[in-house]
Amino acid sequence: MYPLSRRALLKGAALGGAALAAGPALIAAASRPARAADGPLALYNGQHRPPVEALIAAFTASTGIEVAVRHGSSAQLASQLMEEGAHSPADVFWSEESPSLFALAEKGLLAPLAAGTLAAVPAEYSAKDGTWIGATARCRVVVYNKANVDPATLPASVLDFASEAYADRVAFAPASGAFQQQIMAVMILKGREAALAWLKGLRQYGRVYNSDSAAVEAVESGDIPIALSNNYYWQALAREIGEADVQSAIYNIGHGDPGTLITVSGGGVLKSAKNAEAAQRFVAFMVSEEGQKAIVAAIAEYPLRPGVTSPFPLTPFGELDPAPVTPNELGDAEAALALLREAELA
Amino acid sequence: MSDTFGELAEIAAAPRPRRARRTRALPPAIVAAALIPIALIALPIVYVLIRSADAGWTGIAAELFRERTLMLFWNTSVLTFSVTGLALVIGGAAAWLTERSDLPGRGLWRVLFCLPLAMPAFVASFAWKSIGPSFQGLGGAILILSMESFPLVFLPLAAALRSMDPGPEEVSRSLGHGPGATFRKIVLPRALPAAGGGALLVAAHMLSEFGALSLLRVQTLTTAIFQQYELQFDNASAAVLSAMLMLFCLPVAFGEIHLRGAERRDKVGRSAVRRRREQPLGPWLWPALGFSAIVCVLALGIPFGRLGYWLIRGVSAGRGIEAIGPALWGSLSLALPGTIVTTIVALPLVLLALRGGGRIARIAERLPYVVHGLPGLVVALALVYASIRLLPAVYQTRAVLFAAYAILFMPLAQSALRASAELVSPEMEDVARTLGRGALRAFVSVTLPALAPGLGAALALVALELMRELTATLILAPTGVATLATEVWSLTSDGAYAAAAPFAAALVLISGLPVYVFTLRTLDPGGRGRKRRPRTG
Repeated sequence: MYPLSRRALLKGAALGGAALAAGPALIAAASRPARAADGPLALYNGQHRPPVEALIAAFTASTGIEVAVRHGSSAQLASQLMEEGAHSPADVFWSEESPSLFALAEKGLLAPLAAGTLAAVPAEYSAKDGTWIGATARCRVVVYNKANVDPATLPASVLDFASEAYADRVAFAPASGAFQQQIMAVMILKGREAALAWLKGLRQYGRVYNSDSAAVEAVESGDIPIALSNNYYWQALAREIGEADVQSAIYNIGHGDPGTLITVSGGGVLKSAKNAEAAQRFVAFMVSEEGQKAIVAAIAEYPLRPGVTSPFPLTPFGELDPAPVTPNELGDAEAALALLREAELA
Repeated sequence: MSDTFGELAEIAAAPRPRRARRTRALPPAIVAAALIPIALIALPIVYVLIRSADAGWTGIAAELFRERTLMLFWNTSVLTFSVTGLALVIGGAAAWLTERSDLPGRGLWRVLFCLPLAMPAFVASFAWKSIGPSFQGLGGAILILSMESFPLVFLPLAAALRSMDPGPEEVSRSLGHGPGATFRKIVLPRALPAAGGGALLVAAHMLSEFGALSLLRVQTLTTAIFQQYELQFDNASAAVLSAMLMLFCLPVAFGEIHLRGAERRDKVGRSAVRRRREQPLGPWLWPALGFSAIVCVLALGIPFGRLGYWLIRGVSAGRGIEAIGPALWGSLSLALPGTIVTTIVALPLVLLALRGGGRIARIAERLPYVVHGLPGLVVALALVYASIRLLPAVYQTRAVLFAAYAILFMPLAQSALRASAELVSPEMEDVARTLGRGALRAFVSVTLPALAPGLGAALALVALELMRELTATLILAPTGVATLATEVWSLTSDGAYAAAAPFAAALVLISGLPVYVFTLRTLDPGGRGRKRRPRTG
């Protein structure tokens, strides 16, 4: 309605241009550099915090190397690392799920790990090209409410939950990385059609939750009788509430069914790491006896290094009888995503 | 009214001299300063477009024409319209009751009506959810989010009702118009910018809300964007969804311009400090008290009750409690400077749109509202993308985080500032300038002090929003810096509710303090913060 005069506009533009040019320079001068080259080891952490904090404390006590941590979800940190590319200030990435590590390796962002480090855990739990290593294993389980469900009536396969008999009785979290790996396992063992039918059935009869832990809490509070989840969410809840008061329990399907599936958390060193040597030491420490003990004391996951045992009352690793697929086969989340989209779950 | 008609006639009859006068009213330094917010806002828009282009036309089409996309659009629309409508009704009623009626205990109600601002929506949602599953889903989300967001309408509207020149109302009443007619003809048109600005904020919040909605299992475009980032490591289709979300924001951002119309709301005299007659409630006293009490129980009582419950139970209680000091410091050291940066950056845009008046200025002023509907995650990734390429030295420093805060929360400052700015007459500056002041000095000595009430509200709103900001802080904060909000988030995502409770309580307390102080500053008659008289000399 009242356009500015040309003179005011020109004057404004000139001042603005100067401000725009000076602004970033001033900001750059005022802020400290992103990280000094010989600063602390920079860890991007997507794993749960208690085990990471325990491991860092042990690592720093043992080596004298300080560690600065960024916490986040594995997938978000992986997205961030990809946006950062070669300029990333990160040295080490510790992921809750192997697909995030797999994706970074695919993009060529991870450096090879030392042979001695890779030898510490069984080869099937690490990257084939040696760019990341599994640190702990967890298991897909069925969590049920003891008041509403008789475990003897639970089905022999996770595929059976996608049926009318379980209408509005099963909670699942399609966005969780572990669920995507479970889709991959179903696809590998039962075929693509079966996997799609399973997802469509879950969409029709199951209930979508935001995360595994939300699904487990819903079972505990009686909102829904059954949830598909990782084992340690239930163990964390049981410890929070107290073993005596907990209303839910874990059911292992076993006999090689994709309902019982081993997934791993693990770590890798960034190719762009400024503290490459310290980063390699950190990952080696993750799978050392001392490091593994520190981790599994803080979270109900299985140590992958032979000879270390968890203090939690877990079903022994040897008795799980899980689906016969390795983390490497489950690494590429793209096929799982295509199925999720086809089933209109994503 | 005759004032407006007179002005319109003046514009029609003599556009040229008016244009010249208006032009002088805005110093070029202010115009220049407006380029900074515009550049900031352009960053996420350009990023989303670049990333969407990565998906290619087939990818974009595949994302658009899906049954699921339709469902997300539907949920997003229902949620946005319902919550905005309810917030307008509740916030409007609350503002009228505390500012214009003889409701007993108005000082207390005023503070209570602002306090839900201190309760982050994700904390409130968790509290409600723990009562029972029936609060999950779209219906529950509408109830809970309306209760937590109505102060965004209440605060600017109450400030506007308070600082309004009572003159025209007195004239209307003296001409024999009843209170109803006076309200409709005089008060309502003058309160609309504040109400509209607040409603816009609520709508934009609903478009970008993530934490509360995922707890309540409601799927919207924003939760789908987060899910997309969780599901795969290729950000293109999340960017396509973000672009769709921005399109969604466009009508929201520009709709309010029509609401405002061409009405002029400034005032020449400084008569607003005079006491205004209160509207007696009469038989409506008890319903009014009942309404106020129910709103407070729903918005405050239930969330606080559940928080207290988690404080005293749970095995993880006390875990990580030594982190509370650093987290508190982290929250304050990020939120307070961030607030000041955001408010300063927003100021020239408000003035540009108000005084510059041209179409470009108006579009520029609206752009922050378009971006305000974007999830913090997308804005944060845009800044990662831009800063690591253009200015790697500032990456993961506070500077980038403050830029993200400004991009995300500028509209909060804008709406609060504009409500005040519209009441400031440009003629006052002209008077100062005829007395020999330069344009900038006239602006600083006359206009800025008159903005004080809006400035208080702006600082309050932005500070509160920054205290609870989560996703951008997680991605952009310097490594090792934690805030109360990020601690609550990471502890609750580990299922350690009792451990999270002290952090959540500290977050609510620390947010409650500025709510209280700023509420007094903004709304208290004769409060110490209201230096309403310009220094002349």
